[in-house]
Amino acid sequence: MTSLVSVDAVVLAPALAPVLGVVLVLVGDAVRPGRSRWALPLAGVVLVAGALVALRGSLGSELEPLRTLCLPAPDGACLWTAGPRTSTLQAAVLLASAAALALLHDGRAGRRDTAVTATLLLASATGGVAVAAARDLGSWLVALELATVPVVALVALRGTRSAAHGALSLLVTSLASFALLVLGAALWLTATADATFSSEAVAAAWADPDRRRVLVLAVTLLVAGLGFKLSLVPFHAWTPQAYAAADLGTTLFLAAASKVSAVAALLVVVSALVGAAPGPAVAVLLGLPAVASLLLGTVVALRQDDPVRLLAWSTIAQAGWVVVPLTAVSATGLRAAAAYVVTYAAATTVALAVVARTGARTLAGTRGLLRRDPLAGGALGLALLVLAGLPPGVIGLVVKVLALSAPVAAGVWPVAAAGVVAVVLGLAVYLRWVAVLLARPEPADGPGEEAGDTAHGRSTRVVVVAGTVVLVLVSALPQLLVGGLS
Amino acid sequence: MTPWLLVLPTVLAAGLGVAVRRDDRWAGALAVTGTGVTLLLALVAWISQSGTVVGHLPSLPLGDLEVPLTLATDPVRLAVAAVVALVATAVQAYSTWYLAADDRYGQFAATVSLFTAAMLLVVVSSDLVLTVVGWEVMGWCSYLLIGHWSRRPAARRAALKAFLVTRVADIGFVLGLVGLAAGARSTDLGAVVRAWDRPTACIDAAVVSGSSLGDALGACGAPDATLRAVLLVLVVIGVLGKSAQVPFQDWLADAMEGPTPASALIHAATMVAAGTVVLAGLFPLLADSPSARWVLGLAASVTMLLAAVLAFAQSDLKRMLAWSTVSQVAIMLGAVAAAPDGAGPDAGLLHLWSHALFKSLLFLAVGWAAVAAGGTAATALRGSAAAAPVLRAAFLVGFLSLAGVPLVVGGVSKEHVLATAWDGAVAGDGPGIVVLVVLVLTSAVTAAYSTRGYLVLTAHVRQRPTAGGVTPAASAVLWVLTVLVVFGGLVLLTGTFAVGEVSLLWLLLTVLVVGLGVAVALRGGFDRDPAEVLARRLTPHADRGLGVDAVYRRLVARPVVRLARVVAFLDTEVVDAYVRGTAVATRAAGWTGVRLHRGERPSAGVGLVLAAVVVLGLVGVLAWS
Repeated sequence: MTSLVSVDAVVLAPALAPVLGVVLVLVGDAVRPGRSRWALPLAGVVLVAGALVALRGSLGSELEPLRTLCLPAPDGACLWTAGPRTSTLQAAVLLASAAALALLHDGRAGRRDTAVTATLLLASATGGVAVAAARDLGSWLVALELATVPVVALVALRGTRSAAHGALSLLVTSLASFALLVLGAALWLTATADATFSSEAVAAAWADPDRRRVLVLAVTLLVAGLGFKLSLVPFHAWTPQAYAAADLGTTLFLAAASKVSAVAALLVVVSALVGAAPGPAVAVLLGLPAVASLLLGTVVALRQDDPVRLLAWSTIAQAGWVVVPLTAVSATGLRAAAAYVVTYAAATTVALAVVARTGARTLAGTRGLLRRDPLAGGALGLALLVLAGLPPGVIGLVVKVLALSAPVAAGVWPVAAAGVVAVVLGLAVYLRWVAVLLARPEPADGPGEEAGDTAHGRSTRVVVVAGTVVLVLVSALPQLLVGGLS
Repeated sequence: MTPWLLVLPTVLAAGLGVAVRRDDRWAGALAVTGTGVTLLLALVAWISQSGTVVGHLPSLPLGDLEVPLTLATDPVRLAVAAVVALVATAVQAYSTWYLAADDRYGQFAATVSLFTAAMLLVVVSSDLVLTVVGWEVMGWCSYLLIGHWSRRPAARRAALKAFLVTRVADIGFVLGLVGLAAGARSTDLGAVVRAWDRPTACIDAAVVSGSSLGDALGACGAPDATLRAVLLVLVVIGVLGKSAQVPFQDWLADAMEGPTPASALIHAATMVAAGTVVLAGLFPLLADSPSARWVLGLAASVTMLLAAVLAFAQSDLKRMLAWSTVSQVAIMLGAVAAAPDGAGPDAGLLHLWSHALFKSLLFLAVGWAAVAAGGTAATALRGSAAAAPVLRAAFLVGFLSLAGVPLVVGGVSKEHVLATAWDGAVAGDGPGIVVLVVLVLTSAVTAAYSTRGYLVLTAHVRQRPTAGGVTPAASAVLWVLTVLVVFGGLVLLTGTFAVGEVSLLWLLLTVLVVGLGVAVALRGGFDRDPAEVLARRLTPHADRGLGVDAVYRRLVARPVVRLARVVAFLDTEVVDAYVRGTAVATRAAGWTGVRLHRGERPSAGVGLVLAAVVVLGLVGVLAWS
């Protein structure tokens, strides 16, 4: 290729696949406008193919990551660095996007805007994949915005009044967060005098009291900006509204793919701080929003009666859980956070897919689901148990233990204590719903629900089955996930 | 022959018996075979074996504690095992007739087999763990057997009562044995006895050589005497419960709700006698501990006389036999308590042996008579011995033996108990004198109620009662037992039981005492029930066991229930209040959170974001600049 930057197409494939998909969809739509029923299936195929390539990368070693876009100087600086952890997160983003596509496919059969939907979704997935591997401020910022902005359009596409409100809320907070991120990036550059996320530069900046002040402010702003995408309290206000306003495919994308890419972005920042910055400073900056999210998200989820809103508040609490291990600012903490977010994404995908399949808008609508529809009921039950961290959802328990063991090892006790309280409260949140699933179905609502059930399609069922298989597999063999990230 | 062979057949019979319980004939054949084989094995071993044989299982690895799981047989144990197997065989053969019409005969037979196996385990056990296993299995089986006719509320209540009372006493038994085993770091009986035994020879030598007693105790590594006394008293409490001694005596009379063969088994050779076997194993320790001996001796003495008096006044002859069992077991335990260190527990075991024979005979015969007469009340049973010639012979021999008339088996053993108590009284360091005095009084009362029983059962009546369908097996069982009761005293000639000579003086005294009792009983003439003549006013109270049931309820049940209510109140109203409080607080917090997020406007979101950023930035900059 060019002499300036080396390019390895195979390494870039996880990001190139959705880009290729975008091109194909747009070209196809230009050739035969309005008859693009094939757009969503095509996008799905492309996403799954990209995920398979990414999974190949997750079998590698953290010491020898896949690298490309390397610059001649400074020596060895590569703009794209994907170790096993990054590759796993990329695969999770792509698969979660594919799941969202499947739900959108079933939800809007016959709609004319499928090409637009597919394009937006693929673009956002590209951003999510790229941000995980980006190691320089520029591509990191661009990729992050690429992951975010199309979602606003996706929410708005539904066309209802509440969807417009949700999209507006999303847009406003998104802009605010973008401003914060840009400011943070600028301060980071000022403090470290380095346009990449490198530990050496951070360590040098930390040694100088003047630059340290700037660096702390930079980290604060970056955490705040990412807090919006992660739905950390107090940057969470948009979440329940947007979840409830969008259709379930978009909600699933927001809840799973967006969250994974946001965590991937956060991991890029924190991994530069590991070993370079002393723990307590970062622990407070990350710990405050984490604890607030854990407690507020769980407590409010306890009062929700709409499954989607319940899952929205549960997302806020789970975002807190993802950040809990990062407060240790250690390598084990990074691994625990990645494992947690992947598990959370899988469980949430299954839960939302089942909600889409049943069409229930209240918890009572899923009453006795385990007897009426054992596949959906069992999958939802397992997903909720994983989120609660109870066997047989063993993987939920494993990642919770991992998440708590990092701050415990680092001595960040207040965060660990809040985690314990959140575990207990979380049991109430999820078991409340599980109890409804287990209850005897009311004879009166039987036929009506059955009629509603016929609306869902095959793709949703595939998502439910595949997600459940993943949950069962990693529950039976947790080292598949936890070991793959080490 | 390994001792496990004695336990195995009945265990097999119990296991297979459950499998074939639907078929009465198979169940019966299996049960009789199981106990019969055991009897044969025990007899062969008894005749052929001279010393002690130990059988091992792979020992349990339990850290510091050694659990060898050994069984041991010596002539005395084999003699007791043989009589247990004999009584069990008799009971099994008898119940093939007695319970022929019962729809749950199969379960009954299997339970009896298991019960027998448990008793045999206790008899040949040389390991405290196995003793506890046998002891507990007997407790369960007695519950099943007493409550066999579970459709009757009285049977259910009696079974539950027996279970609860013995179980409460078992707390002491288990604690005591655990303590003994912990002190010895082994559950092996020999090791436990060695560890807790007073090193008398060593101490005597040290005292003779001039050191003080305290120094001698320390130098010889003597175990803590107080602790040993406490542990032994705990074991004795368990024994008192299982053997229905004061203050646990009331369950045994109620247990008469069970089928008569089960009563014969429980009373004659198993459960109630098991305590004597266990204490005989621990005898060397008991002999060293005067306090435990006093507890046992006093409880046995009180029980002995009280139960004999209650037996005399019962209006129901089966309950009379039950109270007589309580009294006779007290005599065994009294012998163990009174025996001085040199004498050994064999007088008590000999009485156990003979009691097993004559009490099983009496129970089985009364069961037959009750079938003929249609009830067990004294008025119903009047003259029912006329139903069959074997009954007359059985009652004559059985009551003679119960009264302790010399030369029949019961008389032989009772004289040895008297002689042992006399030795204890002379030695003067235990409850020997008390046991001796009470035993003489009890002998008179026993003779009186034996006379009463015989008079009532063999009274002349116009209409001869008959019991239909008696099988030859049942009458053969009674004949065999009758013969054994007459000649069983000859067991002394085998030298199995290490008991001393009995002088002619004791024979004379016994005859005198028995004669006195008989004379008192005959005051009303031959045709009247002596209880009506002598104890008319006592009878209603005796039938209720002197109202001990109500005392149990007032002293134990009611306080326990009240305590439980208090605990439940504390749990639900105080402890749970905090739990409910957290739930309320959480829900309130959730409600507040929902209220705060009701106005979901974009501007509010942005405001929140900016405010939070300012706060976080200030915190970060101020803290780490």
